[in-house]
Parts: sequence; structure tokens; C-alpha cells
Amino acid sequence: MSYAYLFKYIIIGDTGVGKSCLLLQFTDKRFQPVHDLTIGVEFGARMITIDSKYIKLQIWDTAGQEAFRSITRSYYRGAAGALLVYDITRRETFNHLTTWLDDARQHSNSNMVIMLIGNKSDLESRREVKKEEGEAFAREHGLIFMETSAKTAANVEEAFINTAKEIYEKIQEGVFDINNEANGIKIGPQHSPSNSNLSPGSKPPSQPSGCC
Amino acid sequence: MEYFKSGLKTVLGSQDPDQQPSGAETVERLVERVQSSTLLDDRRDACRALKALSRKYRVEVGAQGMDVLRFILETDKADCEIIGYALDTLCNVMSPNLFDEEENSEEQQALLHIGEQFTEMFLKRQENVTLVLSFLEEYDFKVRWPALKLLAVLLSNRLRDIQEIILVSPMGVSKLMDLLGDSREVIRNDTLLLLIQLTKSNANIQKIVAFENAFDRLFDVIVEEGCADGGIVVEDCFILMLNLLKNNSSNQNFFKEGSYIQKLCPMFALPPEGSDETCWGPQKVAILLCVLQVVRCLVSPANPGQVTLSCQKSLYSSGIFQALSSILMASGVPVNFLTEAICTLSEVVRGNQHNQQHFANVMAPINPPREAIIILLMSMVNEKQSFILRCSVLYCFQCYLFKNEVGQAQVVQTLLSPSYEDSNLVTCGQLLCSGLYSHDSLSNWLSAVALSHTLIENPAQRENLLRVLLSPDPNYRPVTLIHQVALLFQQSSKVQSKLGFLILLATWLSHCHLAVKHFLEVPTAIPYLAAQVGSTIGEDDNEELVPGLCAFVMGICILFNDGSASSYNKEALLHLLSNRVGLEVFSAKLCEVSRHEQYSRASKKPQPTATKPDELLLDYEFCKLFKALESMIIKAVNPKEPTNSSTEIVENGLVSEYKDVIREQDKKIAELQSRCDVLEREKGELKNSLEQLSSTMSRISDENTLLKAQLHSGSLQDNNHNLAIQVDGWRAECARKDTTIQSLEAELQRLHFNAIETKNLSSDPPASRESQPHSADLQSEVDRLTNDMDNLMDLLADQDRKLTLYKELLKAHGERIDDDDDTELDSPPPSQQSPEHNIV
Ligand SMILES: Nc1nc2c(ncn2[C@@H]2O[C@H](COP(=O)(O)OP(=O)(O)OP(=O)(O)O)[C@@H](O)[C@H]2O)c(=O)[nH]1
Ligand SMILES: [Mg+2]
Repeated sequence: MSYAYLFKYIIIGDTGVGKSCLLLQFTDKRFQPVHDLTIGVEFGARMITIDSKYIKLQIWDTAGQEAFRSITRSYYRGAAGALLVYDITRRETFNHLTTWLDDARQHSNSNMVIMLIGNKSDLESRREVKKEEGEAFAREHGLIFMETSAKTAANVEEAFINTAKEIYEKIQEGVFDINNEANGIKIGPQHSPSNSNLSPGSKPPSQPSGCC
Repeated sequence: MEYFKSGLKTVLGSQDPDQQPSGAETVERLVERVQSSTLLDDRRDACRALKALSRKYRVEVGAQGMDVLRFILETDKADCEIIGYALDTLCNVMSPNLFDEEENSEEQQALLHIGEQFTEMFLKRQENVTLVLSFLEEYDFKVRWPALKLLAVLLSNRLRDIQEIILVSPMGVSKLMDLLGDSREVIRNDTLLLLIQLTKSNANIQKIVAFENAFDRLFDVIVEEGCADGGIVVEDCFILMLNLLKNNSSNQNFFKEGSYIQKLCPMFALPPEGSDETCWGPQKVAILLCVLQVVRCLVSPANPGQVTLSCQKSLYSSGIFQALSSILMASGVPVNFLTEAICTLSEVVRGNQHNQQHFANVMAPINPPREAIIILLMSMVNEKQSFILRCSVLYCFQCYLFKNEVGQAQVVQTLLSPSYEDSNLVTCGQLLCSGLYSHDSLSNWLSAVALSHTLIENPAQRENLLRVLLSPDPNYRPVTLIHQVALLFQQSSKVQSKLGFLILLATWLSHCHLAVKHFLEVPTAIPYLAAQVGSTIGEDDNEELVPGLCAFVMGICILFNDGSASSYNKEALLHLLSNRVGLEVFSAKLCEVSRHEQYSRASKKPQPTATKPDELLLDYEFCKLFKALESMIIKAVNPKEPTNSSTEIVENGLVSEYKDVIREQDKKIAELQSRCDVLEREKGELKNSLEQLSSTMSRISDENTLLKAQLHSGSLQDNNHNLAIQVDGWRAECARKDTTIQSLEAELQRLHFNAIETKNLSSDPPASRESQPHSADLQSEVDRLTNDMDNLMDLLADQDRKLTLYKELLKAHGERIDDDDDTELDSPPPSQQSPEHNIV
């Protein structure tokens, strides 16, 4: 299926915070209860619609373990969006956010949209990081914020889609140079720059988006 | 400039003009010059000269020049020319190949690994690679190209190390990827080759390369170069693509999701109708074979099922399924490409109902139209067709039937319905049966195995096939197919045919009581099998398989026996076995099968891997069946197994027997555990000493390289000699200077005297007027001389220092030096500066 835009995402954050589970929930609508350590990087994709346009999301789920840090850094530059994930039941994953953010800011392009995610919101009884703390951190560093549960799927769609919306808006504002693929954005095959008017009136093809 | 040229001449001209300097000496002087020259032009000239010498004198240049060349790379970044020379020189020094200049040298053997050794030295500092990588960013051809070549050399010498370094150096891969867009073809093409090396079996790099838009870049190049009609560059693009996708499901997923499968489609466009054979040139076939490999790795049976399934879907919707079908039915297609296309289509279809259904409907463009499948099977049972083609058709048929109950039923149905008799069109079933009767053992095997695939995991067809009647001879009454197969098996004398029939029988009888009953009712079937199991005939390795498979079929008759056969129930068979064959022999023959080389070969992958007709003996699916049933059969015929009739006493006996066994095993485990501990400890110690040894080794090997270089150039001995000569020279010089100093002192004294006199004179008024100019002259003369002398003193001190240095060196080299010289030399001063002083 043809798309109007393609965005590249990365998912980063400490090991075990639920990055792979978030991706799996988003692409396959499944939950994986066992921790299947990611080795290096894994790829996933899904189509969404924004402003009645098809947007293809290509997502690289990175390994959180320290040993892979230098490998995963290679993915920062070419990404348009990043989901920075911590685990609300483990404070140390929240404490490490600054390190992650510094790393991301240093290696990515300056326009990359970063979404801060406090995951495992279903485990309210074991919560160690208050929602307000996440919000404060996001405000302080200019990030979007959400709490999600990869287990119950709460807010998972929203997390990915809101990030895409933010990127989409930045494109419309002309902040992103869409012709530079290094920004992690591609224009769809049938949408060459000349006829890619972004007027919200234009209708996409008939079928609804699925995960293809 | 002229000055420097002459300077170079002075360097190369050396001290003894009548003797040509050795290469080693020249290299040494050039290295010194690169190191010490303060002028860029000078260093650049020397670098250029080093580059020129680096093929013929690579040991010398490498051993002496590695450090300065690296130094140049760090300090002279701004000058593209000198960087280019330095990179080229390093490239030559570390090259894995022998140069023409070296081919005939007596050192050839020693030079074989020299590039690798220098690479190892170069890699001692990881930053060196980062440094080389950084030069890729320089657009100037003089720098970018040699940097690229140097990386390629490093990669071919030390693939793993370089992969790891590039992986962790920031933007390492993306710098390389940028070069794929370079408008200069040489750069682009060399980058392709480099990436092919770099991505070899390293999933992490493969993923980053894909992330950096490799597939887009590659398709850009492919289209630019003219797709399938492009040259070797297009082939390189597909080789790289293959590297990125092979065994990398993340990238396969990305490839599929990125809609790149569609972009493969134009590659399969057939040449227009009526074009001659020249349109299948070797380059084009090579490219197309690569494209087929790319398709195959997306749908490989070894992939995770999910990936294969979704890629199969895309391959259909993108039109590649259709394109491949057309190739199968086209004329004039070279056989190696055709075979590969058949195998590719097979895997596009394998286990995917949708595609299998469409495959069944593919029609051959002939009159009247026939199903492609029929045409293919005709080739399979045709002795005149090439072996690889026939094998590929079998694979195709197997893939078509894999998990395809409908397809299996349809094939069996063609043998059951009488309708074919009134049409003269041959059917699948008929073709396969004719293959069973053929005199060609390969046809027998292929047909029997193909037929067995209509029965796999399909109980209904096992029973349906029992109803098939054949009348090979119109004068006799028709017999059942199973009866025929049993007879054909007994009548054939060839190992390959026998094994084919046994595979068919085993598949048919397994899990099917009714088939076992029918088979047992064939007279002579069981006695013949029993005799075969017991036979020890045959020197040929492969003949061993026949008794093994016979044992397997007998075992199946025991396992799936419901006692309904008149003559042979379970007990009767067991009785027969133990009487005629012996259970030991039976088990031994059975076990031989899974230990056979052909067994492990066939078990590897679904596609038959035989390259010669007589290697085609076992089938992948059969091996799976064998593996599943072997232990069950062994258990079923094992008399030690407790049976229903066993009394409690027997059971108790058994329990205590087992307890003994367990006790025995416990003891063994404890023993082994302690042994294991000891070994573990020993292993630790060994590992330590190994580490020590290998670090020593690496040190020694470095030293060795250097020594070799020095020995090679003879510089070790020469050095001592040279130094001695130089010291002598200095001594003579000093003596000369001593006398000069003495005369100067005398002169000075005289002048002093004069000066005093002059002063005296000037105090005398009458004379003073005329002597005043004279005295001024003298004064300036004195000043000048004093000044001169100061300069000379400085110079002497300088030389003195150098002399001491040389002495030190001489001593270090073991020369004896009488120390009283030292004091003598302490006394001053020199004469004139000679041109060499600058250089040393
Ligand atoms: N209850 C709950 N458990 C979760 C949630 N998300 C993930 N988990 C669990 O957390 C563990 C780790 O999840 P992963 O997604 O594998 O972690 P990761 O961040 O990908 O870890 P790395 O691959 O090592 O970087 C698993 O056992 C998941 O089942 C969630 O939202 N709720
Ligand atoms: Mg993970």
C-alpha cells in the first residue's frame, strides 16, 4: 500500500523497561510476558493515518543493555522520532533518563521528536515513579510524555501516533527538510515533492489502514 | 623548489658517491626526512618517494615508515596530496597480495604474510582505523579513493577486527554509505565491493547498513546501470543485497515492509518473443541468478515461518510469482538459470496454500494448453533431461504438495478416476506411475519419492491410494498399486530404485493400519524384507542403506499392525524377526541408517543436494519420518520391555535392576563431576598460560617483523659500521678545527695587541687624527671576529652533542670506544658548516 510519508523511529531506554513489548503490542497487538532480551536491534513496521493520510512507521527497537550502546548509537542520526522509555516500577530506569537524553541529543539530528514513556502503568501497586515526576521531566526537557502499558495496550497506539503527529506538524511548519533522508523521513512513491500538497482535504485510498 | 630537489639529491647521493645506496638506506633516509623536515613541500616529496619504493621495498617501508606515515595522517590533514601518498603507501605495505616486483624475489615465501603482519601492527592502535575512516569524508579524489582502498586492504586482512571497530566508531557505516552516492563511478563501485566485504556474516553491521537506506541506494544504482542488462556493478549490488538479507530476519522484514520486493520485479522481464540466444549472455545470467538468490533467502524454509509466509504473499502480489512462472514455460532459457528459477518458484509456493493453488493453475503456452505441473513432471521422468533439472522438478513438486491436502488429493485422484482413460491426455499420476516402471533407476527414485509426498501427513490419501489399480500387462487382471510397488521393489536390482520404493512404502505404511494390512497380504513381501535385513551383501557403502530401510519398513509393519492381516500379526512378525534375522542384527541395521552420511546430508534441507545421480538416495521428509519412528520401533522389538504378562516378581526384579543402574549412574556422574572440576581448573590454567603465550607471541612476531626488515636491509650491521666511519670523520674535523682555533686565537691575540697599541697611539694627539679611522676599522674587525668566534663556538658545542650521541649509539650497538677521546673533544671550536649537518 502506498503511503504519503514514511517516518523512522527508534525506541530507547534501559533494559527490561518494555521496549520490545511496546513495539510488539503496536505491530502485532500481542503481549510477550517473558523478557526476550533484544540483541542489537530489531525491526518492526506499521501503517497509521494522520490527517487522513497514510503514514508508514518503520521502527527500530534497540537493545537497552550497556554492551550494545555503541551499536545502537548508529541509529540515532537517521531517525525522525524516538520513544524514550522507562519503567514506572523501577526508579533507576527513571534516573538514567538524563544519560539517555544526552546521548540522543548528541547523536541525533536536532529536530528529532522525542516521546517520553513511563511504561508498565498496569502495575500501579508497584509504582516507584509518580506520574507527576515524568511530566515534570518532560516539561523541563521539552519532550512529549505519556504513561503506557504494553500489557493492557493502554496508550500504546497513542504513544506512537502522537509522536507521528508531532513530526507531521513539524513538516508542515517546514522545520524538517523532507528531501534529506538523513532526517528519517521519506515521501511516498506517489507523492513526489511537486504534488505533495498537504491540504487536509485530499482523501486517501478507500481501505482503512491495517498493519501491513 | 629547485633547492629541495637538490636537497633530495644530496640525500639520495649519500656519503659515498661512488656506491649506489641500497633500497634500505634510501628508505631510511626518506623516512628520516619525512620525520624531521619542517617544510611541507619537503615532506610531501619524501612521501611521494616512499610511495614509489613501497612495492619493491615494502618490508623496509613498512618497518621503518609506519609511524611517520601515521604521523603524517594526523598532522598534514590539510594537504590532500601528501595524505594521498601516505594512504597509498600504507595500502601497498599492508596489501594481502604479492606485487609483481616481489614475485621472483627469494623472499617470496616470507613476504606472503607480511601484509597481514603490518596490518596487525597498524591495528594495535584502534584510532588508526578511525583516522582512515575520517578521510572518507574528504571529497578530494586523491584522498577519498586511497582511503577507501586502504580500508578494503585492512578488511581483507582482518575482517572481524575491522568490523568491530567500524561498528563502534561513530557514523562509521554512514560515512561509507554516503560514498554509494558519489558521482565518480570508481568510488561508488569500490564502495560496493567494500560493503560486500564489510557485511559478511555480521548481523549488526547488516542492520545498520540497511537502516542507512542501503536498499534505496542499491536500487538507484541498479536502475541507473540498466537493471538485468547492466554489468558487473548490478551483480555487485545484488550480492550486497544478499549479504544484507541472508539469515537476517529483521532485514528481511524491513525489505518486505519497505516494498522493495516490488522493485525486484522488472529484473525478471523476459526478452521479447523471438530474440535469439544472445540475450542470455553470461553476465545477465549471473545477475539473474543473484536476484533469484535474493528471492530465495526471503522465503527460505530455514526462515521463521512468519517471515516466509508474508514474503510469499508479497512475492505473489508483486507479480514475481507470475514472472517466475513465465520463465519456467519460456523457451531458450539456459538450463542453470531455469533450474534455479524452478527452485525459487518452489520456495515461493512451499507451504502457502494461496500460492500453491495458483501454481496448480499455471498453464503452459502450448496447444492444447496443459498444466505447467504436467510439463514439469514430464521432464522429471525423461532420462534425456539434465540431472539438476530433474531434481529441481522433484523439489518443485514436493513444495507444491507441502502442507497442501487439496493438492495431494488431486494428484491421487488422477489415478482413481477412470475419466483419463477416454482422454489421451496424460495426468500427474500416470506420469509418476510410468516413472515407477521405468528402467532408469533415477526415474524410479524420483517418481517413488514424488508419490510419497502425496501421502505425507495425509491419512486419507494413504487409504485412497490403496484403491489404485494398475494393469501393466493387458493380458493379466489389474493389481493394486501397493502390490506393484512391493513387486517392483523385489525385482529391481539397483540400490537407487530399491531405496526409492522403500521410501514410498515406509511413508505409505506409517500410521496406516489398512496399508500395512494390504502390504502384508502381498505374498513374499515379508520373507523378502526379512531376507534383505539379514543379508550382508555389498561392498558399496550405499548398499548398506537397503537392509536398514528394509528393517524400517518391517518395523513399521509391527508398529502399525492391528492384527487384521491373516498371516502376520505383531507377535508373528516379532517371532519371524528373532528367528530369521535376530533382534540384535535388526536393531543394528536400523541404527546404521541414521549414522549414514547420506542420511545427514538429506536431513539438512528440503531441497535435494545431490550433484550426481547416484548420490540421490534419501529424502528430507523420509529422514524426518525415520527420526520420529526409529526409537518407537526399537522399543517395540525390544524383548526387555515389560509386557502385559509380566508378573510382580519380574517387575520387582526390574525395579531393583533399574535401581542398580541408577546407582551405577550416580556414581558415574559424581566421578565425572569431579573429573570435570579438575579439567575446569586445568582449563583455567591452560587458558592463562595460553594468554601469556599469545601475548608473547604477538610481541615476538612484531619484533620479528622489524628485525626481518632490518636484517633484510642489512642496516643493523651497516649502522655500526656507518657510525664508526662517522665518528672518525668527526675526529678529523675536530682536529682540523682545533688548529683553526689555535690560529684564530693567535690572530686574536695579535689583534688585542694591535688594539692596545692603537689606544696608545690615539692617546698621542698628533698621531691621533690620522690613526682614528684606522682604529675604527680595527675595532669593527675585532667585533666581527668575536662575533664569528661566538658562532663557531655554538656550532662546535652542537657538534659535540651529536658526537656524544653517536658514541652512545655505538656503545649501544656494542662498539668499544676509548673514553679519553671525550675529554679531548671537549676543547673547542669549529670551522665551517658542511651541507650534511642539516640532514643528520
Ligand atoms: N506488567 C507489565 N509488564 C511488562 C510491560 N511491558 C513489558 N513488560 C515485561 O517486562 C519485561 C521486559 O520487556 P521487554 O520488552 O523485553 O524489555 P526491553 O526494554 O525490550 O529490554 P531489552 O531488549 O533488554 O532492552 C518482560 O518480561 C515483559 O513481559 C507492561 O506494560 N506491563
Ligand atoms: Mg527488547
